[in-house]
Formats: sequence, structure tokens, C-alpha cells
Amino acid sequence: MKLSLGAILAIWLSGLQFVAVLFVVSFYFVSSERVLLDHATTLIGEVGRSSTEHSKGFLEPAIRATELAKRLIESDIVKSEDTEELEKLLFQQMQVVPQLSGMYYGDDAGNFVYVMRSEKHAEFRTKLVHRSGGDVSTELIWRDKNYDIAEIAVDPDDNFDPRVRPWYMDAKQEQNFVWTAPYIFFSSQRPGITAATPILSSAGQFKGVIGVDIEIDEISRFLSSLDIGDTGIAMALSGDRDVIAHPTTNFIRQTNKENALQFIKIDQLEDLVAREAFGNLPSLDQVTSEQEIESEFQYNDGKYASILIPGSNHDLPWSIAIYAPLSDFIGGIEENRTRNIWIAMTIAMVTGLIGLKIANRINKPIRDFAVRAGLVASGDVSKSNASAQTYPELEEVSETLASEIAQRKTFERIYGRTFSLASRGMAQLSPNDGHFIQVNQQLADILGYTTDEMVEMSINDILHPEDADSYISFQKTMHDDYEYNQEKRYLRKNGDIVWLQVNAFLIRDQKGEPLYAVATIDNRTAQKKAESKINELSRDLSHFSRVNMMGQMAEGLAHELNQPLTSITQNVDAALLTVNEQPSADPELVEILEDMDRQAHHGAEIIRALRGLVRKDEGEQTKFDLTELLDQTLQLLKPEANEFDISISFEPQNIPDVFGNRVQVAQVVMNLTRNAIEAVETSNAKKRKIVIKTKPQPECIEVHVIDTGPGIDPSVDLFAQFESSKRDGMGLGLSLSRTLIEANGGKIWYEPKIKGRSRFCFTIPTAVIN
Amino acid sequence: MLRIKEFTVYVIDDEEDIRKSLTRSLTKRGYQVESFSSAHEFLENHDQDKPGCLLLDYGMPEMNGLELQEKLNEMELSIPIIFMTGHGGIPESVKAIKAGAIDFLEKPFQQKVLIAAIKSAFERVSVINQDVEDAKALKAKFETLTTREKEIAQFIVQNPADTSSKNIGRQLDVSPRTIDHHRARVLEKMDVTSVAELIEKALKSNLFS
Repeated sequence: MKLSLGAILAIWLSGLQFVAVLFVVSFYFVSSERVLLDHATTLIGEVGRSSTEHSKGFLEPAIRATELAKRLIESDIVKSEDTEELEKLLFQQMQVVPQLSGMYYGDDAGNFVYVMRSEKHAEFRTKLVHRSGGDVSTELIWRDKNYDIAEIAVDPDDNFDPRVRPWYMDAKQEQNFVWTAPYIFFSSQRPGITAATPILSSAGQFKGVIGVDIEIDEISRFLSSLDIGDTGIAMALSGDRDVIAHPTTNFIRQTNKENALQFIKIDQLEDLVAREAFGNLPSLDQVTSEQEIESEFQYNDGKYASILIPGSNHDLPWSIAIYAPLSDFIGGIEENRTRNIWIAMTIAMVTGLIGLKIANRINKPIRDFAVRAGLVASGDVSKSNASAQTYPELEEVSETLASEIAQRKTFERIYGRTFSLASRGMAQLSPNDGHFIQVNQQLADILGYTTDEMVEMSINDILHPEDADSYISFQKTMHDDYEYNQEKRYLRKNGDIVWLQVNAFLIRDQKGEPLYAVATIDNRTAQKKAESKINELSRDLSHFSRVNMMGQMAEGLAHELNQPLTSITQNVDAALLTVNEQPSADPELVEILEDMDRQAHHGAEIIRALRGLVRKDEGEQTKFDLTELLDQTLQLLKPEANEFDISISFEPQNIPDVFGNRVQVAQVVMNLTRNAIEAVETSNAKKRKIVIKTKPQPECIEVHVIDTGPGIDPSVDLFAQFESSKRDGMGLGLSLSRTLIEANGGKIWYEPKIKGRSRFCFTIPTAVIN
Repeated sequence: MLRIKEFTVYVIDDEEDIRKSLTRSLTKRGYQVESFSSAHEFLENHDQDKPGCLLLDYGMPEMNGLELQEKLNEMELSIPIIFMTGHGGIPESVKAIKAGAIDFLEKPFQQKVLIAAIKSAFERVSVINQDVEDAKALKAKFETLTTREKEIAQFIVQNPADTSSKNIGRQLDVSPRTIDHHRARVLEKMDVTSVAELIEKALKSNLFS
């Protein structure tokens, strides 16, 4: 489909910018979301890492305290056997490191020194367990921050054995620093964790384990203080998938079957989002790995981002897990974005409308131009339609178009006039079915129809049944692009046959498709009739000359033989009279003479019969047009004359009709002209010319055949039979001519050569007007 | 009265054999025969006062039979013509008969047909000859009249409607009685019995033309 310029402009101007705006908006939409999400993830990651760092920072003093105690004990600065010194060391560390809730040393013999914070009696409490043999003594000492004793007690029921505690066994087993799994302190009901490190002797022998208890409530508090978006949550997860820190501290504690407090597993956490985010993580693998795990997920129509930062065994015995709803980060931006899209759409609409308006404005002169071109094409070339607003380029095109069309109009007018005024028949035909699109009056006249009738007809309707193949060849021409040029028979309205010379060729349009055929048509009927008359004359003449030559010979022979026969009969008669004069006539001689007479007459009868036989073909005499006959006869002689390079000229004159036998007269003209051709041919005259003239006389027409030949020897009796000046002549031509002319009531004679021209003349009577 | 011996047959033919044989046979039958080889020869040499007929060949060079007939008619020589032709055509024969020919014979002809034709020619010449002699006689008698009688005779012949003496006298300024007298003399001298006979004879002989 072709679009108008207006449509194209509208579509491109408004559509294109609409698409551009849409593209920019959607690109912004997509890319900003990506950036925002990346930003959110980064943010969460940073929070996670800072949480990790914070946790590490939180645990580090505790680790350092154990390391210090370990070094002091191993370097024998503090004797492990000296309970007092050990207690002092542990007390000092407790004072320095506030995170520690308790610090202790247990040795291989089952002795145990334990300093912890206290809320009763004094700020610190020391528990000392002594084992010697099977006896176990447990002493409790409360001290203030100045190490002054506030209270001392003995607990006989307490037979605590450090060697069966998990931290002891782990550290002994590992021969290295270990963290225990986090747990909830029985006494404070707070979550905590224990770090333990083995003490070795200078000989490398295991002596005991230093341990510290750290309350990690602080971590939960820290995590809850973190600002992760609006509603982001940070947690700490142990390797066992226990939730060991959560902003909502109540979530992480539960009571087990033995009525003891323990951490809740992540997949049982009341925080359902956290459960969704981290619930299906496998346990240890993830925690031990150094890899941070970032993910995004959907929960209850909300989009979330999460990160899991695993801790290391030494520095941090747990993983930090953070999740946050994305809306916290991009909610505002999304709103803004929606607003922006609306704004963009509105702008797109507005600019689209402006674009349409501009398109319309641009197109208007072109539309006007199109209207004008239409007017111009329909023939209104006046300038008054010129639009005020247009483009110079269009102006030029318009001018050119107008002059082109004016030219075409002129041409069409001329063509139209040619068409209607042409002396020949003309027609426009459909190349497909031969239908007449247009015909001129001349063609209609030739065919006897009116032009209105003809445009309802096709070439099929005027074909002669025996020339039906002309339609096929016409069709072929129209499709093969040959020029059609043929003379065929066609039928007039009244059924008469006309011979038409049809010359047609095909007009094609710019694409090469056949448009119509133009045919010029000449009526050749008259010529055809003339030709057929000439042919008929030629046939008649050859028949006539055949028969008459024989007749003429018979006639000539009859004459020649009748002379001697006449003499014979006369002589016989004289002889008979002579015999009868004798006194005694010999009867036998009389009989002989009488027989001779009878036989001579018998011979004459035979000759007469022969002559009568030929004479039957005398033909009828009619009134006819001598000029036409001369014309036709000379047409037949032209080829012979041309062969000898002799010109025959005949100037027709207005003469009355003559009366006689056409064929016989034609034969005479033929004989005389042929003689003239032969005469000119044998002569060396420069002028090789034969002139035929007619000359009206009172009761007849004289015909002169004049040639530039050598003339005729006067001694020859021209018109006698068997006399000829020609070497191979039979002497019948002129004699026959004379017979014929005289039979037609005319005369024939020869006028000897005057001024280089000799002439044969004959007359033929004019027809009597009834 | 013309006698057969005084009648000449003029044979005109370009062929000598024909002339010779015809002369021979006709002479035998008692006719005077003169022969000529062409129309011109005949015109130049024949004796116009000799009664006779022409036995004329139709087809001859230069001047043919028909042309000679025309020529003779022009010359007011009323000599009967019998045509002979070697190839008789009907149009020619019709033309010839119309122009006064006795007959048109196709060569070779039966002798009795020729003789009959010659006889018919002889009879025609005989009648003509008689008329000529009668006219001559009338003329001779007329010459014997006086001038006045000639005048009156001429008047009577030329005005046959009113031949009364009164009328003639008034016209010629003579008294009717004198006219009566002269008229009687004229009838006597002219050897006629009535004015009517005078008029008839004078007209037949072309006395005053």
C-alpha cells in the first residue's frame, strides 16, 4: 500500500518521536532498576561486611585476652599451678575486656579457676575447683572491681569437672584455638559463645585449656541498630543454622524438651521472610566458604535482596545474613519513575500532536499542489488556482507539468483532429478482444455503419468468413508487438465485401502493458476490382487470341484456297462449254469435267465449314469505357515494356463510351502496342517511348499507338495476311487486328514515320445514346 | 433495246488466275468481258458509255471493292456491281447490298448463280438504258419548240397544281387564248396526249433539272 506524504509525515514526525520517548523511558526504566538493584545489593553487602567487621571487633578483645593469658601461662610468668595468680590474671582480663562475661582455666587434673561477672554481692565472682585424689572442693569468692573480697562461700554440691566440658574437649582435641557452638547461658539466659585455647608446657605437653565466655546479646543489639533500608533485617547464623542474633531477640530463644533454652533453627524462625531467604541453605558448607552469597527473591508480592557473608573459623564463628525489601531502596525511585513515565507519555502525546500539526503544515502545500495538478491534468491550466504557500521546487514542477499537459492537450487535439479528419479510416482497438474503442467517420463510412454502432462492435463482427485467420494474426501481432499490415476481405453492414488494407500497431503504457492498437485502414476494394478486371481481361485475351489466331489462320487459308478453287471451277465451266461446242462431244470428258467442278465445290464446302466453326466465337458487342479498357490493357503490357526499358504513357481523356467487343478491341491494342514494343526494342533510338492517345471524332474515337521505332518498309502490305516485316512474324497480327477492328465497325491504318515517330491508328464507334 | 452482245462484264480482281478463268468462262457464254487487276486501273481505263456490270473482288489491296463502290456512287456512275469475296463476312455483304450491289458471291461460286446475277444486272442496265434513251428523245422533241412554247411547257411541268390557261396567261402576261393555242402546239410537238403525260415524262427524264 502506498501512503500519502501526509500520512508518512504524520507517522514519522509524531510516531518516531513517540517511539523515541518510549525507548528512552523504557531504557531508563530498565537500566535505572538495574542500577538501583545493584546499589541495593551493594548497600546490603556493605552493611553485611560492616556487621562482620563489627562482630570481629566485638570478639577480638576476647580472643586477645585468651591469647595473652595463654602466652603468660606458657611463658611461666603466671604459674598455672598457682591459683591465686591465675585468678588475678583472669580478673585483670575481665576488667579490661567488657565483652567477656567470664574467663576460666581448667587443667588436666580437673582443677578449675573461673572468674565471671556477678550481680550479687560484688561485681565479680570467682569459682575455684580443686581436685586432689578423689576429693573435690569448690570455693566461691566475690570480689569488687578493686579485687577486694566481698564474700566467700563454699559449695559442696558443686563438683564441676572442666575436662568433660565441650570447650575443653574441643580445644584439647584440636590442640588449637576453638569456638564452641553458640549457646544460651544457663545463668543469664542470654546467648553467648565460648572461645577456648589449649595451654602447652614448654615441652609442648598439654596442660590445660583457657576459655572465655562472651555474651553475644550485644551483637543482636548492634544488628538491630543497623539501618538497612526501612525494614531490612540483619542476623547472625551459626554453622548449625541456628539463629544466634536477630534484632528481635525473643525470636531466637526457645525452650527444649528438657526445659532448657536453646537457639531456634533458621527454618523455624518466626521471621518468615528470613526463613524464605536463608531457610533452605545447607548448613556448614555455606558457612565455611569464603563466598558471599547474594540473591534476590520474591515473597508475598514483595521483592527482596539478600546476602550471606560467612565468617571465618578463627575471627568469626558465625555468618552474617541480611535481607531487605527492594522497595526500601527503590520504592521512591519507582514512584518517581512511574511519575516520569506519565510525564514522558504526556510529553510524547503533546509533541505527537505538535508533530501532526507540523506534518499537516508541511503537507498542506503539497496537498494543494496535488489538487492543482489534478485541475491542471483535467485541463484547467489557469493560474488562478496557484496556492500562495508552496515550495519553489514544487512551483517549478508545477510549471513544467502545466506546460507538459498543455502540450499534450495540443497534441491530443491535433491527434483527435487527425483522427477525425484523416482521409483514411482510423480506429483505436482493444488489443485483447479487438473491440473498437474509437473509430472515425471515414471508417464507419467504408463499412456502412455509424460511428456509434461501431464502438459497440469488435473486429470479429466485420471479418469475412474466409478471412477469419486475419483475426488470429491480428491477435498475434498485438501480443508479439509486430506491426500488422495486411490486405483482407471484410464485410460491410449490408453484407458487401470490402477489401481493406489494415495497418495496425500497438501502443504500450510506461510499464509496457498493451494500451490499445491504432489502425489505419484503406479501402482497397476499387483497386481490387480493377485488378480483378485486368486479370479477367488478361484471361479473356489469352483465350481470345488462342481461338482467334486459329480462326484467323483458318480465315486466311480459306481465302488463299478459295482463289484457286474459283479458278478451277471457272476453267471447268469454260472447258465444259468448249467440249459441248464440239459436234460430237465426248461424254466421258464432260463427266470428268463435271466431277472436277463438283469436287472443287466440295473442297470449298469443307473450308467454309471450318471457317464457320471458328467464327462462332465472335463475342457480343456492348457499350464500354475505352479509357478504362486501354488502362487495363496497358497494365498487362507494362511488364514487357519494363523488361526492355521502354516507357508506355497514356493520358486518359474525357471521352464518351464506345460500342464494340471489349476483348477484341483489347486484343488490337495489345497487338499494336506489342508491335510497338518490338519495334522500339530493335531500334537504337535514344527515346524508348510508346505513347497511346485517344482522339474523339464525331462518331468514333481514334486511338493512336505512337512509337519511336524505325518505321515500316512501305513495300509491305501491312494488313495482308501472312505478310510481315518481322523476321519471325507470321503476318497474322495486323491482319487479325484489321479483321477485328472492321468487325467492330472501325478502321485501322498506318501513318508513316513523321518526326521520328510512326503511328498505328484505329477507330471504334462511339456508343449511340439511346 | 440493249442486246446481250452489247453488254460488257468488267472483271476486277488482283489475282490473275481468277481474271483469266472468269474471262474465259464468261466469254464462252457470249459475254463481252474486260478485266482489270485493280480498282484504279478500272477507273482510269474503262469506257463509261459502254453498258455493263462489275464483277468485283471485295478484298483487294489499296482500294477494296467497297471503296470502289463508294467512289462510283460519288461519281454518279450507276453501274451494277456483283461482289466476290474469298472470306465473305455478313457485315460487309450487308453494307455492299445497301449501297446498291446486285449480289455478294462467296468464292468459289456455282456458275448458274453467277450467270443469274449477271442477268439480273443486265436487266437493270437495260431498264436504265431505256430510260436514258426516252429522256434523250424527249429532249430532242423539246428542242423543236419555240421559245414561247418552251416557256409554257416548263411552266406547266414546274407548276402542275394549276395548269389553267387563265393562270398561265396571268403568270406569263399573255392572254389565255394565246396560251390555249401554244399549249396545243406543245402537246403535238412533244408527242403526248395530255398535260398530265407531259408532266410525267418530263419529270421522269429530268427535263428541267
